[in-house]
Amino acid sequence: MTLLEVEGISVHYGRIRAIRDMSFSVNEGEVVSLIGANGAGKTTTMKTISGILNPSVGKITFAGEDITKMKAHIRVVRGISQAPEGRGIFPGMTVMENLDMGTFGRKNRAGVPQDLERVFDLFPRLKERIKQYGGTMSGGEQQMLAIGRALMSDPKLLLLDEPSMGLAPQFIRQIFKIIKEINKQGTTVLMVEQNANQALAGAHRAFVLETGEITHSGTGKELLANPAIKEAYLGVG
Amino acid sequence: MSMTDGPTPLPEAAAAQAAADREAVAAGPGSSVTPERRGRPGIFGAWGEKWNALPRQQQWAFLIVVVILAYMLPLINPPIITTEPGNNFALACFDMARFALIAVGLNVVVGYAGLLDLGYVAFFAVGSYCAAMLTSPDSPFLHIPYLWTIPIAMAVTMFFGVVLGVPTLRLRGDYLAIVTLGFGEIVRILATIIPAMKGQVGFQNVGHPPGTEADGTPIFSNSNGVPWYWLTLTIIIIITLLVGNLERSRVGRAWIAIREDEDAAEIMGVPTFKYKVWAFAIGAAIGGLSGALFAGQVGFVNNQKFDVTTSILFLAAVVLGGAGNKVGAIIGGALVSYIPLRFTAIAEYKYLIFGIALVLIMIFRSQGLFPARQRLLAYGRTAYQRVAKKDGASLPSNGKPPTGLRPDRDREKGIQA
Repeated sequence: MTLLEVEGISVHYGRIRAIRDMSFSVNEGEVVSLIGANGAGKTTTMKTISGILNPSVGKITFAGEDITKMKAHIRVVRGISQAPEGRGIFPGMTVMENLDMGTFGRKNRAGVPQDLERVFDLFPRLKERIKQYGGTMSGGEQQMLAIGRALMSDPKLLLLDEPSMGLAPQFIRQIFKIIKEINKQGTTVLMVEQNANQALAGAHRAFVLETGEITHSGTGKELLANPAIKEAYLGVG
Repeated sequence: MSMTDGPTPLPEAAAAQAAADREAVAAGPGSSVTPERRGRPGIFGAWGEKWNALPRQQQWAFLIVVVILAYMLPLINPPIITTEPGNNFALACFDMARFALIAVGLNVVVGYAGLLDLGYVAFFAVGSYCAAMLTSPDSPFLHIPYLWTIPIAMAVTMFFGVVLGVPTLRLRGDYLAIVTLGFGEIVRILATIIPAMKGQVGFQNVGHPPGTEADGTPIFSNSNGVPWYWLTLTIIIIITLLVGNLERSRVGRAWIAIREDEDAAEIMGVPTFKYKVWAFAIGAAIGGLSGALFAGQVGFVNNQKFDVTTSILFLAAVVLGGAGNKVGAIIGGALVSYIPLRFTAIAEYKYLIFGIALVLIMIFRSQGLFPARQRLLAYGRTAYQRVAKKDGASLPSNGKPPTGLRPDRDREKGIQA
């Protein structure tokens, strides 16, 4: 079943067009990756789906509902949750308070303790550091906190904007393992990544973004095997 | 692993926090991890830690003593602290209380929600004019008892806060500051050019609360500061309790999140615009309340007291005390009012001295005298303990977690980073 349907959206920053006539869909239970180089429009796509930016044309449907004009904070209630680029955690709040902020928009309060448990199971580091301020944590820990916080809203769709950005290689492998685990537990994941290798290997389906347009699409394995993509994104000729 | 060690059941977290604190001290201003929200462990910081460690009963007992002393202040008239002979001490106390109340209100806007408001004096002016125009015999409007003007002044300034907020709160940072600066000037200029507001002539004999002494003089006279001070102090206590409750509520969490990162707050499900307007409206109402009290005590309102420098002085009070800390705001407000009244010889240079003092504070204590530390979780102590208890019961500290990063390896990383 289609969870998220993006139909023909274009997004502008003033007169500069960042995304042109983009269409794709995410099915329930999938991990979908959008890969692309700097400036391809990855973050713009994410911000448009989470509602920080508005498309100038096109339509976004989530769980059968047209959300194109919906405010970002209401989309959270509907079940879209984002771990933003550069983590976007609250530096002056403790880990616990950051996680608590994640529950701000949710209606089902009864499930909060279970979800807290779930986040602590996925990221034991966060449990050790519940009293530490977000701003004093390392990059990897902040990324865990951002993902954990996004999970606290009990999302149907989890948006991850470059979860591997700025992390050491062994951190990156761990993060992707955890993303897989989150997906297994029943959360649909849409991520954008520069790290094409990991992002394609871990995805059911993937799209390649170039200068605001989707140029390739297919399963993660197909794209990994595609010679053009190998050359452009995987650094093998 | 036993859980018998009482209220500090989380050794790992405590150790991590200690490591983070060391790191924070070592990192210095050039560090990449947003240094502005971390307090230096100075003398006041140590007080704060000790304070938080005290049990509730002791905190309350201490507060009650402080409050009683505060009420007694103008009666005791302590020798070194007193502002006499230059200024009547009771009136000085009222002025300090007035500034403290303003600072509490502005702190909601600047300290909690992080909205830089350079025109706060406008709300103070609106409140003053409300009280004056509804009670002064110079005013052509209907006249009502003074005490009724206080809620009316609050309602009217709240309305002005919303009217200003709705179009401008879509702006951020510097742009918002400029717009509020403009709003402050607009109110002052309107008071000058609208005939009904009587410009520099102003309104005489503004009302005051009822009650007369045995000899027939009113209790709340212009020259007797004590009853005015007590009234204002009582209002400060009520407002501080209300604001403190807001701070620990959902509303407070939303404000702090907006201050920390507005976009992140929005994608956490915080209706940022709505909460920013609320911060503006509540801040405005407190400013208006203070203005109405001021008008009643002075008994005279004209357009001369509401200039930009007053706005900046209000802001200085909040920044000096520690933006985001209501106790800091009260002390900052009182200090900003007290210093020129106490040291009359330097009163002329007060802006110079405040300027230097602010520069020094920003260098050595960038979060004000009392750095803010919100406790956002309403039952924070129990929440942390609950998690810690589960930790002890279900997950041995040296056990290997099912997924995720191994704690032992990157703990060292965290300390070195």
